[in-house]
Amino acid sequence: MSEDTTSAVSKNVFSKDLLDACISCGFCLPACPTYALTGQEQSSPRGRITLMRMLETGELPADDSTLAEESSLCLGCRACETVCPAGVQYGHLLEEWRDEQWSGSKRPWIVRPLLLVANRKWVLRLLGLARRSARKRETSTQTTLMLGCFERALFPSVSRNLAALDPTLAVDPDQGCCGALHAHNGDLEQGRDLARALGERLPGTIVTTSGGCAAHLADVIGRDRVVEASEWLLKQNTDTAKTERPLRVGLQDSCHLRNGLGVWQEPRELLGRTATYVELPSAGSCCGAAGTYALVRKKESKAILAKKIAEIEAADLDLVIAVNPGCLRQLQTGLRKSKSRTKAVHIVDYLRGRQP
Amino acid sequence: MDKISPAAVADLRALLGDRVLTEPGALAAYGRDATPLFRHAPDVVVQPLTTEEVAGVMRIATRHRVPVTTRGAGTNLCAATVPLSGGIVLSTMRMTALLEVSREEMLTVCQPGVTAGALNRAAATEGLIYVPDPGSKEASTIGGNVATCAGGLRGLKYGVTRQYVLGLEAVLPDGEVIRTGGRLVKDVAGYDLTRLLVGSEGTLAVITEITMALVPNPAAARYGVAYFESMTDASVAVRDIVASGPAPATLEFMDAVCIAAVEDFAHLGLRLDAGALLLFGDDGEPDAVDRSVARMAEVCAGRATHIELAASVAAAEDLLAARRCNLPALARSGSMTILEDVTVPRPKLAEMVAFVAATAEKHGVRIGTFGHAGDGNLHPTAVVDADDPAATAAAVAAFDDIFRHAVDLGGTITGEHGVGAAKLPYLEHRLGPEQMALLRRIKGAFDPLGLLNPGKLGS
Ligand SMILES: Cc1cc2nc3c(=O)[nH]c(=O)nc-3n(C[C@H](O)[C@H](O)[C@H](O)COP(=O)(O)OP(=O)(O)OC[C@H]3O[C@@H](n4cnc5c(N)ncnc54)[C@H](O)[C@@H]3O)c2cc1C
Ligand code: SF4
Ligand code: SF4
Repeated sequence: MSEDTTSAVSKNVFSKDLLDACISCGFCLPACPTYALTGQEQSSPRGRITLMRMLETGELPADDSTLAEESSLCLGCRACETVCPAGVQYGHLLEEWRDEQWSGSKRPWIVRPLLLVANRKWVLRLLGLARRSARKRETSTQTTLMLGCFERALFPSVSRNLAALDPTLAVDPDQGCCGALHAHNGDLEQGRDLARALGERLPGTIVTTSGGCAAHLADVIGRDRVVEASEWLLKQNTDTAKTERPLRVGLQDSCHLRNGLGVWQEPRELLGRTATYVELPSAGSCCGAAGTYALVRKKESKAILAKKIAEIEAADLDLVIAVNPGCLRQLQTGLRKSKSRTKAVHIVDYLRGRQP
Repeated sequence: MDKISPAAVADLRALLGDRVLTEPGALAAYGRDATPLFRHAPDVVVQPLTTEEVAGVMRIATRHRVPVTTRGAGTNLCAATVPLSGGIVLSTMRMTALLEVSREEMLTVCQPGVTAGALNRAAATEGLIYVPDPGSKEASTIGGNVATCAGGLRGLKYGVTRQYVLGLEAVLPDGEVIRTGGRLVKDVAGYDLTRLLVGSEGTLAVITEITMALVPNPAAARYGVAYFESMTDASVAVRDIVASGPAPATLEFMDAVCIAAVEDFAHLGLRLDAGALLLFGDDGEPDAVDRSVARMAEVCAGRATHIELAASVAAAEDLLAARRCNLPALARSGSMTILEDVTVPRPKLAEMVAFVAATAEKHGVRIGTFGHAGDGNLHPTAVVDADDPAATAAAVAAFDDIFRHAVDLGGTITGEHGVGAAKLPYLEHRLGPEQMALLRRIKGAFDPLGLLNPGKLGS
């Protein structure tokens, strides 16, 4: 409540209306994975908003240890937003918080090189060339495939397969990062600049294979210009078929795709058409990848992943599908370590494999 | 740390290890609950897991004379968990064991930190339900529900938490553990301490285990909505419905301000031109439910401008969910909401509703009213700009008038949210000096050192 923010000293870290929106009702507590880990109020969405208010008024000094700990322990998964009846935009508040908390030299050292790479278009281009992500292609449509920056290096088949699934998509390798990485890691301005630059470089509709990028890009350049791959493929009615032995397939939602853009039915629909779809009990909650979280908060990320892997094992799946490269990598790591028979696959690669 | 000695903290750490929090940021987070305007940080937060650990904490508190405020989910709306004198906040949020759900005895035994929503889901697997059903059920805890005697959306037919608590285990301030009541339906051995602890708001003992009656999940439930030109018309309809037959499960209403706020959030296609909305519903055997709902619709027909019956279970769930989120939805339209909880005898409902509207106008405050109409329980909610002290003062003045009028009508200052720190100044007006003195003596019998939740009930 804003009585917290009316003190004479206001640090202007946060947009006042965003901070004022929370009424501290506590409805978000059961939705928060980090609160489930600790049971401590300050690791809950409501508790973190209290901390933000104390930072804003100066009641807690900027170098307070709980502020540092909680701004980093938060997954940024935005599950709290979906249950908040007061419409608190927690994701935006967290971006503003990290912009202050993780600015410059306060940023965790482990994420710095990532941001540097993502800043440089030519590095991304080289990565794409070396790893053979989708090649340059002009088409008559105003719809372009976005090439995720780390996806180009880690999962180059994804963009290739999407270009193959839909020949009308144009491909332009001379594109940079969308800036989601920056916005979530304490450089909001750069994050927005990169998104705007990408929006100018790729006019018209942008199709992305990453839920996280989709949400950030939509936030900056407008929802109407951004389509996530499963949304797009569902609309295109891509020709895919069932295998003879029906596969048991589960899904891991992308937090920002589900909680930020409200896209969760589309991938389920696509999977339901081609396989025996099994809803994992926690499909909608974070896998612990959460952008750079798996690097910055190894221990917690592993704890969250362990539960997820146990669930996947119990469901006896052939495949678990991801709609975001970060989740894909996280699931692959977990499944490999536990020697599971289940494979993690990106939805685009999966659907390409189902083409008759 | 001013209130608590390093020695006391050392004792707590020896008992609970890292489940003792002292960082200023953590303490700040425990310095408030869902109540606006009240804040005070504790000196230390503890997270016990078992009854023995709670008893250990209380012994340390007694030895070092440190106040203890018990906290569940902190969703209460009367500043009941704000530790006004600092000291220890004892969080029950890690006491989440659901020990038993018995179909045969129709009861559950659980630790206090289990949420009402989780208990309901566990009960459902045995074909049972947890009745109290407060709007906050997904977040609030059973311990909190018991300690505030929470009410819900089906109080008219089923009553409130009080009617379902069979037995309690509780820790007294000196660390002694008592067990009241039990699994028995009948038991008159001794004073009814179970009922004394229900609604005691953490001022008499720390509740560490609850034995709670469950009821069979009704075979069917149906809901409908009636729209009226005014809250007065809706109140009269409520009176007529209750007079016309057996009490239905649900009669909830909201005024135009609330309808607009809820519609803005939930997009259910509510009629924005109406002055009041009445959500009515019943549960039981399918044909009885159909008859009951038809009867309510018929009684409303004379006054209502529109009546719609929910076509599906999903549609009914949507309506109930919309009613549950009434307060936060209202909060979207201003920077601060102050919500009250007056209750009057049902025949006086129309009069009280009119008084609230007139008072809001008199003080120039924007008040939206919703509530459990069937229980005569109103939640007039002021939406104010927190940066404007005059607006807050006007709201407080308006509520002052509203409390007094409710008591004059034979009503009460709080129906279900509790007294806490927020309503304590009005309590004597409701109870009178003799009862206030008796309350203090009861408090003294349980807690002679005044360590449990000071500045609240019994202080
Ligand atoms: C949006 C919203 C809707 C709500 N709807 C309703 C409603 O429909 N009906 C209703 O009645 N209330 C409602 N409430 C109020 C609140 O949710 C209830 O009072 C609830 O019972 C509090 O539970 P809690 O776990 O949050 O308890 P807390 O807020 O943590 O504590 C409440 C009181 O209980 C005491 N306490 C908690 N646990 C224990 C324990 N184990 N032993 C001893 N004392 C204890 C505390 O000291 C405190 O005095 C609503 C609140 C909100 C924000
Ligand atoms: S649910 Fe929303 S309004 Fe309620 S405490 Fe959480 S963030 Fe604040
Ligand atoms: S973003 Fe996720 S982890 Fe962070 S407060 Fe919200 S629910 Fe919790």
